[in-house]
Amino acid sequence: MSLESLSSFLSYFWEVRFHVAELAVQHVLLSLMGVIVGTITALPLGIFATRYPKIGNYAVDITGMLYTVPSLAILGFMLPFLGLGWLPTIMALIIYSWMPVLRNTCAGILSVDSAVKEAAMGMGATPAQVLFRVELPLAFPVIMAGVRTVAVLTIGVATMGALAGAGGLGELVFTGISMMDTNRTLVGAIPVTIMALLADQLMGLIENRAKSRMGIRG
Amino acid sequence: MENTVIDVEFQNVSKYYGKEKVVDEVNFRINRGEIFVLIGPSGCGKTTTLKMINQLVPHSSGQIFVRGKNVTELDPVELRRSIGYVIQHIGLLPHLTIRDNVNFVLQLQRVPQKKQRERANELIKMIGLPDSYLDRYPHEISGGEQQRVGVARALAADPEILLMDEPFGAVDPLTREQLQNELLRLQKTIKKTMVFVTHDMQEAFKVGNRIGIMRRGQLVTMGTAMDIVNAKDDFVRAFIGREAVFSALDTIPVFQAIIRDCPVIHEGDAIDPADPRFKDWENVFVINQNGHCLGYVSLTDFKAHEKVTTEKLREITSPCLPSDSLKKAIGEMLWGKRAWLPVVTKEGNFEGIVSFQSCVSILALDD
Repeated sequence: MSLESLSSFLSYFWEVRFHVAELAVQHVLLSLMGVIVGTITALPLGIFATRYPKIGNYAVDITGMLYTVPSLAILGFMLPFLGLGWLPTIMALIIYSWMPVLRNTCAGILSVDSAVKEAAMGMGATPAQVLFRVELPLAFPVIMAGVRTVAVLTIGVATMGALAGAGGLGELVFTGISMMDTNRTLVGAIPVTIMALLADQLMGLIENRAKSRMGIRG
Repeated sequence: MENTVIDVEFQNVSKYYGKEKVVDEVNFRINRGEIFVLIGPSGCGKTTTLKMINQLVPHSSGQIFVRGKNVTELDPVELRRSIGYVIQHIGLLPHLTIRDNVNFVLQLQRVPQKKQRERANELIKMIGLPDSYLDRYPHEISGGEQQRVGVARALAADPEILLMDEPFGAVDPLTREQLQNELLRLQKTIKKTMVFVTHDMQEAFKVGNRIGIMRRGQLVTMGTAMDIVNAKDDFVRAFIGREAVFSALDTIPVFQAIIRDCPVIHEGDAIDPADPRFKDWENVFVINQNGHCLGYVSLTDFKAHEKVTTEKLREITSPCLPSDSLKKAIGEMLWGKRAWLPVVTKEGNFEGIVSFQSCVSILALDD
């Protein structure tokens, strides 16, 4: 990148900074909704899957299959049912977040030392107390790793939301591509990357704090 | 036995896993305040038996009574909360501080915060760890310390009964011995009923008031250390092994092996070497009016009926107490190259003597 193109990019960025900020907020909201709703739907399913592994395996398989469908295809598939806007976009983000959260919830709970669970039961913990006081806290770092994967993925995939008319930084990226305006594309793409990296760092921090408290080297 | 309360009772209890019978018609009664040890080779059903007491493993047939109540009629959660549980791999919760671990049972029962704090401080003192440990995490303290915390946690709700599943199995031998000593010292003040599972015979002899040996789901024999070393059963003998006999001797007190009919004369009496009472004896003990032993005389020093003089009186050395262990007495005899030791109470009263022969003869001899 030459000096001229850098300065033209920066001056373009300065020109549209308020618009970028507005789209970035939309982007964050879309991503947050996707991650939060995805996690709160997948987490109970994951707990359920550890209690009934037969049904649980199907759930893992189905969400795994959905995970492999290209994001544009999922979005396109949603449109006839949910119309345009943020709803199909968030729905697509939720579907993507299921598999990592579900799988990590299962793995995390199943990896809890059975001696620890038995100690808790032996001391008179009810099944709910075993779940909330022992299994979930101990599985937390693993579940958190799943949510972290989802967060990064969701921020990226939310870019596609622009195609469904949900707004977000994708708008700049795709109009930039169609107008062959590199500056416009970059002004959308660079904040997306930064947001993804920040989310990854932040959640990594939470994950490692939980781990180090338990004496797991992370 | 009069006035003994039965805290745990098994009546023909069996446990099947599918068709496999892992516990086979087990019967026993555990008295209040006693440490009952279940021991046997791995897979003998000892841990399963233990877990049936708090119903972590439900039994298949027979009846189990805990403090007089049939366990099947109790809510398993309530039952478990009334029984302390210490497990093999310590089982401290790694995400909780020592304080929260110790208070775990109290938290399950929603005991007020203030009471929990007081109890945690009490317990940490009881197990001899500094207060500052309460805010640490399990991985920040040593294995032996973790095991102590495990015991403290089991005691938190002040249960009458304590189940211990190989509690000291995960620590090095030195720490294990230390923990055993601490447990015995603690037991003197807390006087709980304990069921203790181990595979270490020495540990069984050391901590157990009574020991039950299991094999292939059956309780083969049950009794005190002395009963166990006297068992005739080949399996039991092979299982306890030669070395464990020393541990058993450590638990048998000298008074069980005292020879009380050794000849005694009073201070100032005369001795007749031909007295039929002295037949088969080389020495005669001299006591005063208060029953205190002044020393002994050798019969070979007396030719005929004559008075005992101080020149002929020999001092008794290294007496042992009736409550000393046989191991200590035998050690003293070997160390001092003596064939016998006088047994004298704390108050100085002469009880008799203990000899190699008398120590050996209490282990019922086959001939």
